[in-house]
Amino acid sequence: MASVISAESLTLAYEKGKNLIINDVSFTIEQGEFVFITGPSGSGKSTLLKSIYGQIKPSKGTLNVGGFNMKKIKKTQLLQLRRNLGIVFQDYKLINEWTVEKNVVLPLIITGYSLDVQKVQAEKLLSHVKLADQAHKYPLELSGGEQQRVGVARALSKNPFMILADEPTGNLDEFSSGVVWDLLENACDQLNATVLVVTHKIPTIFNIPYRHFIIENGGVHEVH
Amino acid sequence: MKSIKEHLMFMLPLMAMLIGIEFILLFNRVTSSYEEKLKNDYSILVVSKRQLDTPFLRSVNEKIDSVEPMDRESIAKEVTSGMQDSAMVAIMKDLPYFFRIHLISYLSLDELKKIKSQLSAVDGILNVEIFGENYHSKHMMFKLVKMILNVFIVMLFIVSLLLVIKQMEVWQLAHKERMAIMEIFGAPMMLRSGILFKIAFIDAFIATVLNIVLFIYIKNRWAGTTDISFIKENQDLLLNISDFLVLFITAIIIVAVSVMSVAIKSSEVPEG
Repeated sequence: MASVISAESLTLAYEKGKNLIINDVSFTIEQGEFVFITGPSGSGKSTLLKSIYGQIKPSKGTLNVGGFNMKKIKKTQLLQLRRNLGIVFQDYKLINEWTVEKNVVLPLIITGYSLDVQKVQAEKLLSHVKLADQAHKYPLELSGGEQQRVGVARALSKNPFMILADEPTGNLDEFSSGVVWDLLENACDQLNATVLVVTHKIPTIFNIPYRHFIIENGGVHEVH
Repeated sequence: MKSIKEHLMFMLPLMAMLIGIEFILLFNRVTSSYEEKLKNDYSILVVSKRQLDTPFLRSVNEKIDSVEPMDRESIAKEVTSGMQDSAMVAIMKDLPYFFRIHLISYLSLDELKKIKSQLSAVDGILNVEIFGENYHSKHMMFKLVKMILNVFIVMLFIVSLLLVIKQMEVWQLAHKERMAIMEIFGAPMMLRSGILFKIAFIDAFIATVLNIVLFIYIKNRWAGTTDISFIKENQDLLLNISDFLVLFITAIIIVAVSVMSVAIKSSEVPEG
């Protein structure tokens, strides 16, 4: 299997040389793997995720994502990488002025797909996340669980090679959490996407093999 | 209500800039027309012992357009009024030729002095009078007013541009979340800023139309009834159809520059 993420002596800090969040860690993640990242609050889980989609640059060491060196990546390359990622946030990050349907196809709009393709894909994804009847509503008209399902549908809309999810069930009830875990499982199992999930708690029922990293005191340890 | 206020906050400085540009266009037209009038009304007086013609004088200075001989008899009559006829004959015999020289365009005082010295050097020419000071003082005053107006317009332009950019920043803040989400999913700057471009282009179009309407009113209504003779005389120059295009293109450029400056500044993608 090809590695989609490889970190070598990776150090992440908000100020160069100060406030080290992640300190000198190395790991690799292969295509199609499901990875949970857990750890105490403020340990750097979200920071690590941000560095993977290029919101934060490595202070030291190397981080390669999808063939790009994240330390040297150019703006245009970073946007290109992001177009091939699916990202899910705890606070959903939906565009409230857009309908659910339009939110779902945001990655397709960005890539310049035709309106017909967008419509077909929106219908397919919304039915997949059981929100077909909510297509013309606006995000604020939906419950938290429904908004997160829209977020997951958006993440899946371009068949990304990797999905990054930051506390995707953090604000959800048990039922909605179950739906979101199923969707992420399916993305990994059926689409062979790499899925990285930052979470406080690994779900008790999980049907596919996964890896588990714990971030603590600036280090990353894998639980076997 | 808030939205209307925000649009006005953008459109009013933009309109101020466009009015400034329209004034520059107008003043350039008025200046050209004034110079044309000066040129037409102006001539150099040449006194010569021999006949002069246009081709010859053009060979002396190419800025000379034509030569108009003055009626010697009427000059002699004026000089000899109340005298005997024989005096008239004697004066006509010794009276030199008088010419008015017209120029191809409005010339500066230095250029006039140069023509004077060239003509004075021609064999047979006795005297050359350029009436330079009269000719020039009005024009200099006109130029001074034009320069002061241009400085004022440039200052107005700078202040207005800052106000436009400020309003753009307010809009950028209002749409910050949407733009940030689009950026996370890899949208290029032009797509992220699409909403700003859309609002700004619509306002730019409205501002241009309002400006044109204002100048149409000034030209067709106000200018006809005003007591200011300068405006009355130049009523036709107040607005050209091509001004609409010039103002609209200028508005688009101003909008594009201000949107780009705000969009580039707001990007959260780290520099590569």
